[in-house]
Amino acid sequence: MNRRYFILGMTALAGCSRASRPRLNVYNWSAYVAPDTISNFEAEFGVKVRYATYESNEEMLAKVVTGNSGWDIVFPTYTRIKPMLDYGLIQPLQHEWLPGLSNLDPRFRAPTWDRDLRWSVPWMWFATGIVYNRDVRPAPTRWADLWDSRLKGRLTMLDDPEDMLGACLKKIGLSFSSTDPAELQRAKQEAIAQKPLVRAYLNAEVRDQLVSGDVLAAQLWATTAQQAIDAGPTLAFAYPEEGFPLYCDCAVILRESQRSRLAHQFLDYLLRPKVAAAAADYSRVATPNGAAKGFLPEATRDSSTLYPPPSILERGEWPQTLPPDAQRLRDRIWTEIKAS
Amino acid sequence: MRRWLGLYAVAFFAFLHLPLLTLSVFSFNSSRFTVWEHFSLDWYRAIFHDPELIEGTWNSVIVAIAATLISTVVGTLCAYGLWKRGSRLLTGTLYLSLVTPEIVTGIALLALFQWMFRWLHWHLGLYTVILAHVAFSIAYVVIVISARLRTISPNLEEAAMDLGASEWGAFFYVILPALGPGIIAAALLALTVSFDDYVITSMVAGVDSQTLPMVIYAMARRGASPIINAISALITVFFGLLIVISERVRET
Amino acid sequence: MKLRSWFVLPTWIWMVGLFAAPFAIVFAYSFLTRGVYGGVEHPWTWENYQRLFDTLYLTILLRSFAMALVATLLCLFLAFPAALFISRSPKHKNLYLQLVMLPFWTSFLVRTYAWLFLLRDTGLVNTVLQKIGIIHSPLQLLYNDGAVLLGLVYGYLPFMVLPIYATLERLDPSLPEAAADLGARPWATLLRVIVPLSRPGIIAGAILVFIPCLGAYLTPDLLGGGRTVLVGNLVQTQFTTARDWPFGSAVSMLLMLLVTVLVWGILRRESEQLT
Repeated sequence: MNRRYFILGMTALAGCSRASRPRLNVYNWSAYVAPDTISNFEAEFGVKVRYATYESNEEMLAKVVTGNSGWDIVFPTYTRIKPMLDYGLIQPLQHEWLPGLSNLDPRFRAPTWDRDLRWSVPWMWFATGIVYNRDVRPAPTRWADLWDSRLKGRLTMLDDPEDMLGACLKKIGLSFSSTDPAELQRAKQEAIAQKPLVRAYLNAEVRDQLVSGDVLAAQLWATTAQQAIDAGPTLAFAYPEEGFPLYCDCAVILRESQRSRLAHQFLDYLLRPKVAAAAADYSRVATPNGAAKGFLPEATRDSSTLYPPPSILERGEWPQTLPPDAQRLRDRIWTEIKAS
Repeated sequence: MRRWLGLYAVAFFAFLHLPLLTLSVFSFNSSRFTVWEHFSLDWYRAIFHDPELIEGTWNSVIVAIAATLISTVVGTLCAYGLWKRGSRLLTGTLYLSLVTPEIVTGIALLALFQWMFRWLHWHLGLYTVILAHVAFSIAYVVIVISARLRTISPNLEEAAMDLGASEWGAFFYVILPALGPGIIAAALLALTVSFDDYVITSMVAGVDSQTLPMVIYAMARRGASPIINAISALITVFFGLLIVISERVRET
Repeated sequence: MKLRSWFVLPTWIWMVGLFAAPFAIVFAYSFLTRGVYGGVEHPWTWENYQRLFDTLYLTILLRSFAMALVATLLCLFLAFPAALFISRSPKHKNLYLQLVMLPFWTSFLVRTYAWLFLLRDTGLVNTVLQKIGIIHSPLQLLYNDGAVLLGLVYGYLPFMVLPIYATLERLDPSLPEAAADLGARPWATLLRVIVPLSRPGIIAGAILVFIPCLGAYLTPDLLGGGRTVLVGNLVQTQFTTARDWPFGSAVSMLLMLLVTVLVWGILRRESEQLT
């Protein structure tokens, strides 16, 4: 009996917050800051940061959608910002507390999803493309090359309906965010035709298999591809000729947050060139912070995987937030592809 | 026949332990891959520098112990209570709780807690995880204990009471000891299910209550790291020691 | 018997509060409409259930049943001899039990990754087979139904061992002895006497394995490479990427209904046999 009360007591203690310094709760994608980013912030501002990570937008949204999650700052991909606004989940940013906004690259100072940066601060951006082993000749440079039977069993595609269907759509020359049912059905046929060649639908886990040579070509995000290339020099990344999607993960402050000032200070801290550069370099992802580029090590700055030249970039498109009906159709198609 | 059984047992335990043994061996490999590079303790060092991991382990332990204690007690009482006067409704509900896919239980509990918290202004935390774990463990305990109870003669209790024991006495001093190994089996099951749970826990965990499976899953999603090998080796060794010690204690 | 009613009270409270109530919520969700960006919204509708009766989803359900059944049978054949061995050991019973449980105290994910590690093209199994010379190029052992089955069986083996052991351990040893005295050979005794007597344990174990296998999604996802959709994956997708909670709730309700009917049927037969 005594032991039980002891255990219950310990549980209660563990559940209690240990707040003596001000707290900030930040919920971010995994591996999106440098190892000392958070601790430096804690030291400089004398606060304690509760930092946890998630692997998908849905995981984050499920926690946040009630408006009572306990998080102050989260990092949705920009396509989720509009729905979050519709649910009244985000508080507007006070620009006078964010002088660092001027550090942003001009392209990101008035992005299509948030013209005045009223709600979000762009944090990292990247594209989806093809990472392949140089032994594959000729090198796959188009989505269509991933339908080649040479790659049978050594090819993976992303386990993400938006990206995977998007690749099929681009292959047949359609828009990445198409909502037309006929077009989506055609994309589905392409995916089903490709399935016998596909080893598996994998996300970041495929990195090790690329390095070890099990997998010869994969549809992958530029950031994970860069990590693979770092570990396996025989790998290379291609931005498909038919076009590719561009994504940007942005920081937002949740409306439920009571620590608005501190949250703004954190965002401004993230906008500092040195901080942004360290995070981008460590995470192997591209930063929208123009001033930070000067602080990046040469190898990273020159990486064509992370920072492609403008001629390539203009082939990219920013996916739209999908309306609910189109979303439903795509989900059903995704199930059909997986079940075939 | 005993010989065949013995041989089979060896093969069985080998099958059970081979994957983890392999992981443990390769946790000492300096390379991330299956090719042996050279002996190294780097991955072990990395564990102790990872505060998320340490906190996750601590949380998992607390939750598992609390949930196991509660669910074993509650479940044993329930199985006994259902023994001769079964309640179709309760049994049905218990089975239903097993039948529900974990993701549904997780979402449902999350919805319930969020709805409650609108009035109470509380937050998700370790306690919600414990509540959830007990909710899904009780059924396991009840099933195991019920199976065992079915092998106990129903007259045992009556005999005890004829000899002067009270209802409670008959339960506590006669039935409970007879259930002994069954209770241990049930508790072990509840402990395992709780320590291991990822889906439901990730739904109802709060800001401060990351458990070990959650930390490992996040790590593994980023590409298998030998830190996971090292963690599993440590856990195996730890529990192995616990077993050895408890056997020694039992024998004295 | 008043004491008995008190004994079941805590369980009642837990089940009502933390199971029936959430269950009711999910049930309600299955009749609502999906919210624009997730969650649920008002018009009450039958639509989610109507969507269910479609070859696509019914095939998924069927395939999941088949997979779970095979996994359960495999578990049974593997676990029974082990449980028998443990129950007959003169000493160290608890030690063996704990040895069975030991791998399962590391995370389920860790164990699944262990199999990924072993079964990869450059994993241990392929490397060893190639060294011995049985094969010359790596076999693809992962990302197929076999790997998923292996993962499921491995993951749920102790849930079969423990209940069977619990029943066997309590078995009256004079019964097999009597059978032997009457001239039965050991295998006959096993099949004709011991197995039938351990029925409650087998049924309990089968239920404890079949159900989770039916709803599994991590194992098919990780070891199957996302190439097949089982009912667990379907539900999980509805509650995450597809953000169609009402449809996911409807699928879960159907699943639970089917399994409830199945389990109820089995239990009815069992209790009829006892009386």
